[in-house]
Parts: sequence; structure tokens; C-alpha cells
Amino acid sequence: MNMMGNVVMALRGISSNWLRSLLTMLGVLIGVAAVIVLLAVGTGSSEAVANSINSLGTNTLTVFSGGGGRSASQTGTKSSNATLSTTDVKLIGDANSAPDVQSVSPVISTNETATYKGATYSTSVIGSTPSYLPASNYTISAGRSISDADVKSHAQVVDLGSSVTSSLFPTGSNPLGKQIQLGSSEFTVIGLLASKGSSGLSNGDAVVIAPYTAVQDQLTGQSQSFSELLVQGKSSATLTLAQSEVESILAAQNNTTVANLPFSVLNQASLLSTATSSSKTFTALLGWVAAVSLLVGAIGVMNIMLVTVTERTREIGIRKAIGAPKSVVLSQFLIEAVVISLLGGVMGVLAGLIVVRFRIDGVQPVLATYSIPLAFGVALLVGVFAGLYPAYRAASLRPIDALRYE
Amino acid sequence: MTVLTEGDRSVEHDEGSRTTGAGRHDVIALADIVKRYQMGGHEVFATRGVSLVVPRGEFVAIMGASGSGKSTLMNIIGCLDVPTSGHYRLDGVNIRDLDDRELSRIRNRKIGFVFQGFNLLPRMAAVQNVELPMAYAGLKAKDRRARAEAALNTVGLADRMGHFPSEMSGGQQQRVAIARAITTDPALILADEPTGNLDTTSTIDVMTMFADLHSQGRTIVMITHEEDVAAYATRVVRLRDGVIVGDHQQTPIHARDEHVAHVQAATARHDDRELLS
Repeated sequence: MNMMGNVVMALRGISSNWLRSLLTMLGVLIGVAAVIVLLAVGTGSSEAVANSINSLGTNTLTVFSGGGGRSASQTGTKSSNATLSTTDVKLIGDANSAPDVQSVSPVISTNETATYKGATYSTSVIGSTPSYLPASNYTISAGRSISDADVKSHAQVVDLGSSVTSSLFPTGSNPLGKQIQLGSSEFTVIGLLASKGSSGLSNGDAVVIAPYTAVQDQLTGQSQSFSELLVQGKSSATLTLAQSEVESILAAQNNTTVANLPFSVLNQASLLSTATSSSKTFTALLGWVAAVSLLVGAIGVMNIMLVTVTERTREIGIRKAIGAPKSVVLSQFLIEAVVISLLGGVMGVLAGLIVVRFRIDGVQPVLATYSIPLAFGVALLVGVFAGLYPAYRAASLRPIDALRYE
Repeated sequence: MTVLTEGDRSVEHDEGSRTTGAGRHDVIALADIVKRYQMGGHEVFATRGVSLVVPRGEFVAIMGASGSGKSTLMNIIGCLDVPTSGHYRLDGVNIRDLDDRELSRIRNRKIGFVFQGFNLLPRMAAVQNVELPMAYAGLKAKDRRARAEAALNTVGLADRMGHFPSEMSGGQQQRVAIARAITTDPALILADEPTGNLDTTSTIDVMTMFADLHSQGRTIVMITHEEDVAAYATRVVRLRDGVIVGDHQQTPIHARDEHVAHVQAATARHDDRELLS
């Protein structure tokens, strides 16, 4: 008895009771589809988190002033007096005091309504230095970036985020050189930023970048200190070193220790690794939930195979009487179980691939390529394990008992 | 029809001792076969020492009432069960020494079964049912089909090859079963109450077929409790309480003159019925 003959025989057995076989396959189908979809949801949500962290910049540290973060909670009101000064910026930017720092950009941020010829758009305004753009992964698509000269001369010039551009200017028009209003002040558009794409939590394109000096002059007032410093490390490997350099400088400046620092320093790399590990846990948890449904499917296959063996006891008796050896009977029922779960697996993969195309609870699932062979392999194993015992029972039947069975 | 010899050597390991016990041309040699069961704590003897030799070419009817041990004997002869004690040699092979795998091989190569309940696989067409034992013997699909068609032709069902058992009468189903039994060209055709589920016409039909197979030189052992059916055999063995109580040769009914007219009348009736249906 060859393999093909066995498979044909198994298919005939399956189709002779197609409704029951279909329902059994449904169990495997749901299990396999659940594995694929839930792993895709896990992967999708972890990618979304990683994207939104990456949109903060590349190899960056963010220093927050004026409380907030872990130090504020530890030291209470003490932190509220501390501010980030231009001296801090100078020291952190100095290659001698902080050799692992690539650049430091002071940031003043505020929210304003941008207006151009009646069109308005509510946007966040970042007052900073030219190094802010590369550190935050902004690239210029037209015109030029703000320059050090602009900062020095308090020039009222801006680079527009793509959302702002598209909201204020009709498509086809050239915004460069045009005057827009931010609050009550006029700024000249000198550059356009390429779109970063929306990254889950925040829209990185709803932004206007201007020299911090001009923002202080026109929008927030001279007294306003920097709300944060964006520090870019030289590489991801030395980012932790850069962090400790920045922390010691700030501690020295504020006559305190690193432990009591009145600022919080957010390390993008450690944030990313924390987020990645927690989303991995989340994905694994989803995977286990899916595995449970696959297990239920396996029990269904086993159950049906036991029923099938009982129903076909007489047939087994006939086959054994006319010379079917144990191994042939065993493989016949084993193949039947494997075929059921493989068919269920194929349909499950297809169902999973369809469901993954839709957003689920605000998450765009991202198909984890390993999940298809995984789900398929598990379906195959399910078939073998669920089929083994019933097939063994069938093969061990004594032909005289089986022939007598009504 | 060719004999299935391929692979048979593995079970014919006692070739040398063949001539010492039973005669070389004996298909069945049973020596002091005892079968004992444990039933509710005490022992029950199904056979209490049965010795029987069936030479090649004989048509033996084994008769007995229920409980006489004839079913147990049939299971032992058919290699479906092994005796508690005693020796059984089938076509020169000592059955006692064989394991489960070898027993299924022996059943496949040396025995053609015909059961009371036909025992065809319901989801297979007639020709596929006939092919099944050859599939287990490892024949190629093409050869299987050719031999199955030849066997169905022999039993007069050439026009019913693709029919399923549910689409055939009892007599036709039993003829498919006979085709299945002869297609591997076995040493022994073992029939267990082959006419038990058939009407008179089909009974004559099937028994005539057995008589034909016998006249072609086949060895047939048939278990029955009906005298009418046993009349077709050349030898009748009677069992009672697990021992042989009678064993005699006879002229089979189809060789007697009065039978010819009887069959002709029955066949005419049968033809009428076929025309009507």
C-alpha cells in the first residue's frame, strides 16, 4: 500500500462524513488563524511602539527640566527651581567635558495657531538650533534648514512640517519665502520638512521649527528657559556613556549628585529596549492564548478520530482479515488525522492572512513571517499526536472481535 | 491466473519438515487443536482436540450447531486466532510460530475469505473491493485493476464493476466477495456461512459458483449449519461440543442427476425475476 493510496483513502474517509470533518477542521482552522493573527497583532503593536520611540530621534537623550520624571518624584519641590541654561548647553556640547556627545539642541516648545491667508492650523512650535533637525530625524525636502546665523540674529524664519504645509498652502503652490503668522508674529518660510509619517501616538509632521531665539522673542518671552535638551550621542553603543557625562555636568552645575539630579534624562535606547521587552512579553502572551485554542482544536481532532475508529471497527476487521498489516491500518488512520489537521491548517493560514489585513483595536497587525511555518508545523504535530492514539487503537483491534462488531 | 509468490519465502521457514508430518499436498493439517477461553473465572473449551487434514482440491463442509466450536475452528483455520495448544500447518507453513504481521501476510496470500455478511467496504466500488487484498500484497495499480476485472468477470459481474455494495443485491455482493477471495489465487478459500444471508435463488447461484471453483481445482472449506448447502461439498465434517463426530466423503449434489433439473427450474425463476426488475 503506497502513500498516495493511503492519502486517497484518507480523503475518501474524510469526505464520507464531510460536515463532521469540516467542523473538526474548523477547530484547527481557528487555532491556526488565532496564532497567526494574535502574533501579528503583537508584532504590529510592538512595531508601533518602536516607531514612536524612534521618531524621538536617533541615539538621543532627552533632558527634561522643571520637574516631572523620576527625580521630581524623589526630590519633591527641590526640582522646581532648577532650569536648563545656555551654560548647560555649552558644557554638554563641549567635546572635552562630554566626549561622547555628538550634538546638543536646546528646545523651547509651545503651541500656536499658524495662519496663512485665512487658513489656520494648530501646531506645535519648536524653538531650537540647527542640530535639532538631524537629531530628531527631520530632513529638508525643499528650501533650507534654520542656521546658526538665524539663531544668532534672532531671525523670524521657520521650517514647516508637512502637515502644516498641506493645511496652510494649496497643493501646487510654493510656500518658500511666504509669510505665515504664528500667534501674532510673522515668520518667513525658509524650508519644508519631509514627512516622517504618523507614528501611533503623535503626529511628527504637525510641527514648525524656528530658531529658539526668535521663539523666545516673539512667542514665549525672554525669561522662558529651555523646556528640554535634545542630546544626540555619537553612537548607540556609547549612548549610556553620553548619558552619564550629561548627568555629571548637570549635577555639577546644580551643586548636587547624579542621584538627586533635578532633571529627568530619557535614554532613547533604554526606553526602546524596555518597550521591546514588554511588547515581546505581550506578543508571547498572545501566542500562548492562541496555542490554547489550537490545543482545543487538537482535542477535537482526537475526539473525532476516536469516534471514526469506533464507527469503522467492522471495516478495520475486514481489512485486517484480508491481510492489512497493523502498520497499514495505523498509517491509514494517522494519515486521516494529519490530513484533517493539515487541511484545517491551510484554511487557518488563509483565514489568518485575510484577517491580518484589517486594523484590530487600533493596531495594524504586522504578519510575523515565522508564524506561518510555526502554525503549520504545529497543525501537523497536532494531527500526528491527535491521530496516534486512535490509530493505534484501530491497528490493535483483533480481526475476529472487529468482524463481530455490529 | 498467476500465483503470488513474491515474498512468500519469509514464512516458509520450515520447508524441510514439510514432508515429515502431513502429506505434501495437504492445504490444511490440524493436529489436536485445543482452544480454551477464560469466561467469568472458569475455563470454557471451544475445541477439545480437533485433528483434520484437508488435501489440495477438496471441498469440505464443516457442520455443527451453534456452540459446537465450528466458528472457533474457522477462526483458527483462517489465521484470525491462534489455538491454545496443538499444531496447525497451512499450505506447509507452521502457523504457531508466526507473529501478528506474518499472520496478516498469510491471510493475505494463502486465504480467500467469504463471510456470511459479505463484508465488503461500503464506500468502495465492486472493483475496488476486489482490488483491496492485492493492494495489501503490494501489487501495482494497473495489475490490480486487470486482475480484479478478470475475477469479477469470472463471477459474472463484468457489468457491475463500478457499482457500490449498496447498489447490489445480496447475491451480487456475495459474488463480489467471492471475486475478492479468488483474485489473489489463494491456497484456500474459507467461507463462513456464505449463504446465511441469501434467499434460495441466490444460494443456488453462490453455491454453483463454489462448485465451479472446486471443479477448477480450488480447495474450499465452508462452515455451515444447512444440510442443503453442505450437499455441494465433497466431504462433510461434523462437529459437536468441540470434537469431530463425523467425517465422510460424498458425491456433491450438483453431480447428481436430480439436481440438474432443480437448478434449471431455479435459474429460470431467477431470470424471470431479473427481467421483471
